[in-house]
Amino acid sequence: MLARHAESLFWTGRYLERAGDTARMLDVTYHGLLESPPDEARRAWYDLLEVLDARAAFEATHGEPDAASVSRFLVLDPGNDGSIVSTVGRARESARSVREMISTELWEAVNTFYLELFARNLRHDLEQQPYELYGMVKRRCQGVAGTAVETMPRDDGWRFLMLGWMLERAEMTCRLLNVRFAQLVEADPTSGFHDWIGALKSASASEAYRKAYRASMDRSDVVEFLLLSRTFPRSVLYCLEEAERFLGELCPPGELTHAQRLLGRVRADVQFVDVHELIDRDLHDFLDGAQFYIRGVAELVATQFFRHHVDLELHALGRL
Amino acid sequence: MGQDLFDGYATDGFYDELLTADGEVRPHYRALYDKLATFSHEELARRERLRDAAFRSAGITFTVYGEEEGVERTFPMDLLPRIIPADEWAHIEAGLVQRVTALNRFLDDLYLGERAVLHDNVVPRWLLTSSAGFCRQAFGVPVPHGAHCLVAGIDLVRDADGTYRVLEDNLRNPSGISYVLENRAAMTRVLPVVFGQSRVRPVDHYGASLLRALRHVAPPAAGDPTVVVLTPGVYNSAYFEHAFLARQMGVELVEGRDLVIDEHVVYMRTTRGLQRVDVIYRRIDDDFLDPVVFRQDSMLGVPGLMAAARAGNVTVANAVGNGVADDKAVYAFVPELIRYYLGEEPILPNVETYLLWDADQRAGVLDRLGELVVKPVAESGGYGMLIGPAATDAEIAEFRARIEADPRNYIAQEVVSLSRHPTLIDDHLEGRHIDLRPFVLTGERVEVIPGGLTRVALRRGSLVVNSSQGGGSKDTWVLAGEGQPLEPAEEAAS
Repeated sequence: MLARHAESLFWTGRYLERAGDTARMLDVTYHGLLESPPDEARRAWYDLLEVLDARAAFEATHGEPDAASVSRFLVLDPGNDGSIVSTVGRARESARSVREMISTELWEAVNTFYLELFARNLRHDLEQQPYELYGMVKRRCQGVAGTAVETMPRDDGWRFLMLGWMLERAEMTCRLLNVRFAQLVEADPTSGFHDWIGALKSASASEAYRKAYRASMDRSDVVEFLLLSRTFPRSVLYCLEEAERFLGELCPPGELTHAQRLLGRVRADVQFVDVHELIDRDLHDFLDGAQFYIRGVAELVATQFFRHHVDLELHALGRL
Repeated sequence: MGQDLFDGYATDGFYDELLTADGEVRPHYRALYDKLATFSHEELARRERLRDAAFRSAGITFTVYGEEEGVERTFPMDLLPRIIPADEWAHIEAGLVQRVTALNRFLDDLYLGERAVLHDNVVPRWLLTSSAGFCRQAFGVPVPHGAHCLVAGIDLVRDADGTYRVLEDNLRNPSGISYVLENRAAMTRVLPVVFGQSRVRPVDHYGASLLRALRHVAPPAAGDPTVVVLTPGVYNSAYFEHAFLARQMGVELVEGRDLVIDEHVVYMRTTRGLQRVDVIYRRIDDDFLDPVVFRQDSMLGVPGLMAAARAGNVTVANAVGNGVADDKAVYAFVPELIRYYLGEEPILPNVETYLLWDADQRAGVLDRLGELVVKPVAESGGYGMLIGPAATDAEIAEFRARIEADPRNYIAQEVVSLSRHPTLIDDHLEGRHIDLRPFVLTGERVEVIPGGLTRVALRRGSLVVNSSQGGGSKDTWVLAGEGQPLEPAEEAAS
């Protein structure tokens, strides 16, 4: 398939996952902080910006973070590349540029999401009913994903869409663990049941977790679940294994490509980690490292599939 | 009951496609008429819903991409098909093959041949070299088999006598074939019985025919040629058609940035590396095709494409420079070109046309602008026209000034009293003016797809059929003659 089409599908998946996860994290942070003292709240908002790599951009245009300013920045600020309106807009742009490669239903699912988002008075919604707004974004993202599952032929287009989706989700779950860990474990090692429920909720994981671990709210169980679950489809390991499978189907048999090797390595790092050791020592560094490598995989995927012979093109232009 | 549909229907002295001047139903419309006579208004409404559902389920809603909301609209198709009997079609087909053959010969002579047409003074040299579509960069660029107009759309109208006349030639990027195929697909669902009884010649082999023609014009060295469709992208209003054609042919739909050129060879970037491209069916105008040679600000084209074509490593279809042949001032010479190249009399006449650089003709025209149609020579799609009888004094004065300032750039034509066709307006039928754009392919032979796009001016009295100006379309049925197979043997075999 055309490299441009593959790249657009890859990014459609990534942008949508980003939008949904941003809504999840905002939702949990906002509702978790409703009764917190201002200092704690400010720190929590800083952590959220940090984990989304948005702190510098926020501070360049805003002052001290609070619920209203951070929510607006992350939801409706078109100047923020990572805001929900930006990512959904870009997801739609990407989907539109591959309109002929995806099913009509999938295009309509993306397009109506975009249209609904832009028909709303988002500022008003954030003040009056943020829960409802975040719920809408999550449901729409799930609706798009479900439509893709139901209507896309299982060809290379599907694989690029899902590869992007799974890599982004793996990275976002790492980020989520990172921010909750910072908030809950480092700040207060004795943090309680409700806080961990919040962590799980931001990954839409609380029910699945309880099924797996009953009433345990041991923090190592929570970390283990979000990192290593083989059954929960948002765990880091689950996403990396899925991504590895899609990438394997896209690559020629035989020698592993650079992207495959790096993805295999980060998957193995996660898969064979000792969770208790991590919590006691360096979960934060470990997650930072995993995120770094996952971004590296995305870069190598782009090099392998999307950016053929840019040097050749420049060469040709120079001669003409 | 059904007869209500024709209540108050009047031909108003126009040539009516369905009724004779005496009010008799023409024989080739008999089956349709009888079926319509059994329809109640409710039945008709049901068929309209069927049509809308057919269009929706086929995904034929056209997204208007430029608008923020992504508005989707449909190109309205009238429920009544336009029907052309076998003998009429044989005449049209012969005329189109003749015309396109002559136009291909002319373009080959001009860009790649001896330019005999100039030496023999068939067309004034200055007229060709002053045409906006004349392209010096096309000289010497090989066009395999002389198929300059690989796809041509020749607009025909019928005058008050029912004579088919050529209104204009579209030899650059004629569009509309996707409507032809989609209309047919919808119509077979909406009026299956009439359709089944009527021996209508199929059109759905267009994709296969187009692909065969494109493969035929591949550079001789290409063994199993790779064909692509080159589109300006999703923001182009005809993008739907570009994507549709790529899908029909099963080839890649590419944008300029998907192609890269090395050593005068064109490649497309795929996820498995660079893949050589042999034939480009481009739906980008000449001006935007290659920023090295044409407009340097074009982001749509491929730098170096013309050099690759000149080296004979890729075929660009339609060929570059065709605009000189569909220039409306050159159009007036096409009957002469047919006589010159083929030694035949033109089968399909032109519309009476006045060349305004000629002082005598200009004087005659300026006196009676209010009775004529004036068109700029390089436009298509009904832009920038003056329709004298419908124009205000100010508009006429404006055109007079424009013509006097640049007479080469305009032609004038007699107003053709376009034929009319019964068309469903609300819940009854009224006569509306129509035209016909058949599509002509030049591959191994010159081939006409039976029928073409019938456009209908939905506004009462309007002569303008363009979709941007309140136009709709009709499915166009060409009937097979007695003992004539529905499909040519070649298509049936493949």
